[in-house]
Order: sequence, then C-alpha cells, then structure tokens
Amino acid sequence: MRKIIYTLAICAVTLVGSSCSKLDDYAAPSETLNGSVVDAGTGKTVQTEQGSGTRIKLLEISWSNNPTPFYIASMQDGTFNYTKLFAGKNVISAEGPFVPMVQTDNTGKTIVDKSQTVDIKGTTTVNFSVEPFLRIEWVGEPVLNADGTITVQVKINRGTNDPNFQQDVSDINLYVNSNKFVGNNNFDDRYSPLTSYGGTDGNAKLGQTLTLTTKGVLPGQRQYFIRVGARTNYGLKYYNYTDVKTVTAP
Amino acid sequence: MKKYTLIIACFFICWTTACKKLDVPPINIIQDKDVFTSTGGIQAYMARIYSQLPIEDFRYSPQRGLNFFWIISPFPAVTGEALSRDQTGAMQENVDESPWSDSYKLIRDVNYFLENMPKYAATYTPEQVNAWLGEARFIRAATYFALVKRYGGVPIIDKVLQVPAANVDDLNVARSSEEAVYDYIAADLDYAYTNMGETNQVGRANKYVAAGFKSRAMLYAGSIAKYNQVTLVDATGNRVCGIPSAKAVTYFKAAYDAAVLLENKYSLYKNGWKAGDKAAQYQNYVDMFFDKGSSENIFVRQYHYPESVHGYDAYNVPRQLMGANGYSSEVNPTLNFVEMFDGLPKNADGTIKTMTAGKYDLYTNTMDLFADAEPRLRATVILPGDVFKGQSIEIRRGIYTGSSAGGIGPLLPAGSTANYPTANIVQSSNATQTPYNLPGGGTLNPAGLSGVFSGDGTCAISGFSVRKWLAPDKPTSEVLENRSDQTWIELRYAEVLLNRAEAAYELNTAGQNDKNYLQDAFADINQIRERAGADMLASAANLNSIDIVRKERRKELGFENKTWWDMRRWRIADKEQNSTIYKILMPFYSANDKKYFFDSRTDERNVRYTFDVRWYYEQIPNGEIQKSQKLIQNPGY
Repeated sequence: MRKIIYTLAICAVTLVGSSCSKLDDYAAPSETLNGSVVDAGTGKTVQTEQGSGTRIKLLEISWSNNPTPFYIASMQDGTFNYTKLFAGKNVISAEGPFVPMVQTDNTGKTIVDKSQTVDIKGTTTVNFSVEPFLRIEWVGEPVLNADGTITVQVKINRGTNDPNFQQDVSDINLYVNSNKFVGNNNFDDRYSPLTSYGGTDGNAKLGQTLTLTTKGVLPGQRQYFIRVGARTNYGLKYYNYTDVKTVTAP
Repeated sequence: MKKYTLIIACFFICWTTACKKLDVPPINIIQDKDVFTSTGGIQAYMARIYSQLPIEDFRYSPQRGLNFFWIISPFPAVTGEALSRDQTGAMQENVDESPWSDSYKLIRDVNYFLENMPKYAATYTPEQVNAWLGEARFIRAATYFALVKRYGGVPIIDKVLQVPAANVDDLNVARSSEEAVYDYIAADLDYAYTNMGETNQVGRANKYVAAGFKSRAMLYAGSIAKYNQVTLVDATGNRVCGIPSAKAVTYFKAAYDAAVLLENKYSLYKNGWKAGDKAAQYQNYVDMFFDKGSSENIFVRQYHYPESVHGYDAYNVPRQLMGANGYSSEVNPTLNFVEMFDGLPKNADGTIKTMTAGKYDLYTNTMDLFADAEPRLRATVILPGDVFKGQSIEIRRGIYTGSSAGGIGPLLPAGSTANYPTANIVQSSNATQTPYNLPGGGTLNPAGLSGVFSGDGTCAISGFSVRKWLAPDKPTSEVLENRSDQTWIELRYAEVLLNRAEAAYELNTAGQNDKNYLQDAFADINQIRERAGADMLASAANLNSIDIVRKERRKELGFENKTWWDMRRWRIADKEQNSTIYKILMPFYSANDKKYFFDSRTDERNVRYTFDVRWYYEQIPNGEIQKSQKLIQNPGY
C-alpha cells in the first residue's frame, strides 16, 4: 500500500516538475506607434469620431510582401497612440474623412500613394498631412439660451480643391452628449438636431455662417459636450467634425 | 499425425479464402455509379443541393443566417417594414462564415455534378442530360447571386478543386470583379434557359425559373452600376466593388428581356378576384400564398411536417392567438409601411390623417379608419379590429379618461418622442389586466387582447400585426415552433412584373427608345395594382418617378425578405435609416365618448436605425481572408 502511494507521489512530482518549462518565449509586443492626422490647410488635427472614424492601416512588410492589414483606431481628436506593436518594417497610411492617401485608377494602378514606410522600434511617431472633405470651424462660442437650448455658429468649407472629392453635402448635424465622446455614433437624440439634404441642396450651406440650435429643453446642473458634424456623398460617407466644446448648464 | 492434418487443413482453408482481392470499393459508401446511373439517384442529389440553396425563406434571419429555425430578430424588423421587440436597430447580417462558406460548399457540389454526371450520359437521353446540367447551372448561378449581392466580386470557382493540390497556390483564387460575377451568373442562367424543359417537379427549376432569376440578378447589377458610390479595385485592375456606370443600360436591358420571356407562361393569381369587390380581392390575395396550384408561383421551397418544418406561425401570430411555446407578435408592421397603401385618410404630406383642426377624429370601431383600405393592405397586415382565424384582433393602447368636451387635443406635441402622459390615460403593463370601470356602467380592459402593453413587448407594439404568410386556418394547438409547413414562394410572377417595370423605367430614363419602355412599365404597374385593388395609374405620363415603381415593389413584396436587398441595391438605405425612428399608430378608447381615436407617433421605445454606409458591401469573413492571401477585404472593415 505504502509502495503504491510513493509511486503515485513520485509520478506526480515528476509531472508537475517537468511541465514547468516555458514554451512561449517570444517577448510580448512593446513598441509604440503614435502620431496624428493633420489638416494640410490649417495644421490642426482632423477631428473624427471614436470607433468608426479615422483609422491607421499598418502593412508589416518585414515578413511578407502581401500582409494582412492591421488597423489602429484613432482617437476622436485625430491623434493615435498604440503601445503593443512588434518591432518591424511597416507601410503606414490612414483612412478617414479626408482625401484617400492611397488612390488607384480603374486599372488597379496606384496613382497616389502618400503612405509612409517606417521602421517601428521604441516609440515611433508618424504624422500624416491630409485634405479633409469638409473643414468645419466654430464661429464664436456656444451660447446657452434662457429657454434651455444651446445655439452655436459654424462655418463649413471644402477642405480640398480636387473636384473628384467635392461631392454634395448630405448631412449637417449638431450633436449633444453627456460625455466627451460625441459624434454620429454617440449622441443624445432628444436634443441633437439632425438635418439631411437631398441632391445639391446642402452645397448652399458651404461658406455661410450657420446657426444651429439644440432641440428640447436641456436639464440644468450638468455639463454638455457639443460638436458639429457634416459629410458628403463620397464613398463610405465619413463625417468631418469640429472639436468638442463643453457647455455647463447652471 | 492428426495434429498435422489439422494444421494443413487450416492452412488450405486460410489460403484459399484469402485469395480475394481486398482492394474493393467500400460497399457501405454510395458511389458515383450508384447515384448517377438512375433518375432516382439524380433526384436525391438534386434534393440535397436544392435544400442548401441560399434563399432567405422561413428559416432565415440576419442574426442567425440561413436554414435556422429560430427567426426572432426577423428580417422585416431590419428594413423598417416592421418593428420587433427583439430588434433594436439597423444591422447587417451577423452570420460570420455562414453565407460564404456554405455557398462555396454548394458550388463545389454543383461543379462535381457538372464534371461527373456526363460520364454516365449514355444511360439517358441527351435531353435529360442537358436538362440536368442546366438545372445544376441554375443552382450555381443562384448561389453566386447570393454571394455577389452580399460581398460584391467573389472568387469564381468553375471546377472541382482537387485537395491535396500539387500547388497550394492553385487553391487560392482571387476575387473577380463584381461585373464578371454578374456576367458569369447571366451565362449560367442563359445555359439553363436554353437546356432545361418547360416544366419540372414542384420546388425544382425549369427554364422560366432561370429566366426569372436572371431578371432579378440583372436588375441588381444594373442598379449597382447606376447607384453605387463605393469603389475597390485590386492590384490587377479588377473592380471587386462597383460596376462601371456605362454598363447600367446593358444590365437593365438584360433584366427586361429576361422578364419578357415569362409572359403568358405565368400570370398573376386571380382565381377568386372580382372587379370592384374589395372583399373578394382581399380573399384572393390571402389565398395566393396558400394555393398550391397558383399560376403565380414560379419557384417555391416546400415544407412538410414533420420532416421539414419551420415556425413562422408560432413567432408571428397576434398575441391573443399565441401558441404553447409562448411566442407571438415578432413582426409588427410600422405605420411607415401601412401609409404607403391606398384607401386611408391622408394628410397633404401623405401621412395618415387622424385629426381634424387639432382634435382627434373619433371612430366607433377601430376598423372604421380602414373602411376603404386597399385589399392588399388588409391581406398583408392585420389592422386593429380586423378578423383573423374567426376572431377580432383587439389592439388598443389604453383608455383615455379625460374630458371630451370640445374634442380631444393631441396627447403629445407633434414629433415628440416622450412617453405618453399618465394623467387621463389608463394603460396595462402586461397581459394580466385590471378592467377599468367605464362611466355609465360596464368594464373594459385598458389594453386590447393583442396589446399594446406598456411594459411587455409580446404584443402589437406598432399597433399592427403581420398577416402575410400566416396560415389562416391553423388551430392554436398547432401554433408551435417547428410545426408550420406552408410553402415559401421565392419567386412569383408579381416580382417578375416589377422587375420588368423597374428595368423598363430605368431604360426609359436612360433615353432608350427601341421600345416604348414607359408604356410597358405603366402596364406592368397597373396589372399589379388592379389585382391588389389599389388606385390605378391614369396614364403612362403619371408614371413620372422611379419612386412610384419602387413603392409598388415594396408594397407588393413586403415581408417577403426582398426589401432589404432592394434598399441596398438602390443605395438608399443610408438615407432612409439615418438616425430614423419608425412610426406607429396607437388606438385609444375615449371613455367619455365611447369611441376610438388614433395617435400617430414614433416608436415608443425610441429605437433608432442608422445604416452604416460600409454595409453596402458586407465584410468578407476574416477566417476566409486568413486562409487565402489573395482575398482582399471590402472597404472600411
């Protein structure tokens, strides 16, 4: 009986001991890529929405000529910061509410390629200079009205002179939200006025000072985060945005 | 010595019996020669590939994919035709690998048939062989159509790929252009049309089915060419997303020509139809979906209890006819859908008229509002108070107890998305109701038997319940999951006429004048409208907008799982579902008037639909992209 117990004990010790060898000996990714997507016309970052707006496309060509793309989502202010990349050579470009950085003609030939080939090691910074479809700028500061609404003024212009990317303006929206993440995928529909335009109607709004006012009555004693977004009928119809303004309702 | 004799005997027994060849085909596996040498074998092969044909029928939902019994999150609740408590917004198909990998399995089975069946051709007449080859190519075309309408250009696999392959790269096939896939579909369907016979078993294709599918596929191709804005060109110049706009006319013409082939071969079902008799027209429209001999059915998928079943009735009956599984009212038509039909009181902007001079119109019965409704509407939607399975389907949101002196003003300001005020309104939160004592005696439950309950979605949340496809005579004891077996009509002549009308209208718009296309479209639309009991177009000149053709299509084919694809190919889904809340119609009973009034408002749940522009091309499953580096992803994923 004792013999059996000893035998079992020795087996157990051997198994436990021998299973302790590490097999996964490749270091975890630790390189950092950061940077921003900048409007070539104004030098400011191109505002976008959290999650479904600008994204950075990485093609790692250290191993393969035809790699599967890896995407990094941009923050809503147009900057990005990713800290868990492997070191390697990458072709990096950005996709979002601006004239595409890589364009092909109808035969598949690349006619424009502004992507950058970068060795990612340590902390690597990459900035992109792009032409947004629409450039939306605040005119003055938002005004909190006595009736519990907020009125803002903006001016919208085209951000590119290339007629291939000057499609009709289809939507101009004022977004209100209770936290700083605000955009077409994240807004309070009780207060946010949305306007769609058919055909060329929206183009008349370009270059004008537009006055937009929230819907309903905003409850007091809290902060509101507001932003204006607009888009054209190009491709995936990304929105361009202003930066986020905070209004405190007393 | 005896021992040796035995050993020798054993030796010889073993030796002689061992002289059998071991390399024989396994007799427990059915071989090609067993299948392809008899019509029964071929029928069995066909039965299996038909059962896997990717069509969106009673066993499809965008949440769970093809051929799955549980169809909550129903398709109509994604398009805005209906609301469902289980669907809280717009979506694209959320089915991962399913349509992609299932389609390619089916394509492999078809290619296998096309390569191996002709080896046994001597057994049959050439006509038989050609008809079967045509039928197989019809199935392949229908399968490629299921792929191209989802993903755009896909790899074209026209032979059985051999595994293991000499060169693995041969198995990686790049995506063809979207145009090439549509052309491939057209070629397969043309072959099928030429080689197949005029008739076949029910549930199988004949030459006109091939032509009907061609009219559908080519219409899609033409619409993509005309309306698509998304472009994706691969490194070798294949445009995998999008079709050059110059091809629109070619495709619309192909759609038109294919639709014309079915003329006089099929017809709109009018067996019980009588001119000017709305009740007969209504009954005729209901019967169309259940008459097995209908002259309108072109391509159907049959079900039969207990071996091939679905649960459409169980999920969708009105609440008061709920079966033992506890499901009901998954599909509740929106007011947006109902407002498209004729015969309702309308405001100048086309919305339903429920008020006069700021006060609600009062009705003795809820059906009074719909007294002149188009018969097709009644046959498609159960209106509040209408009769279904011998019962009046009672739909009431609540009882208004306020004063009615001088009429009842709006319960909420126009366009408000707020909850109904609780003052002056008695409501029920679920089906366990406390009857309300009416002034002057008598009691009434605050909500109807089929809703609307304020806290329980198992009711007619839009104020309507669906009628189309619901078996009108199924006893409640049989309203169970996996207990329904009515036939799914995948292609009926009405759709072919609508394909023809749309193609003709688009050709007319494009300036084509080799025929009087506008007159043709006008005649097609009026055929549909006459059968439906709708208002007729007075003349071809009145057909002055593509929206008239499209609206007719959405009304006629509502709840037939076609509208979603239409909204996509017209590229209107992102405009139509742009933070959109769909509308509902709530009947209230005014206790003091002892009459009903209707409140038109937006969905009380405030569910907003936003269609993401990326969804015009679905995401190619990541698992497939990892398998083949030649596959490129669609834009935005």
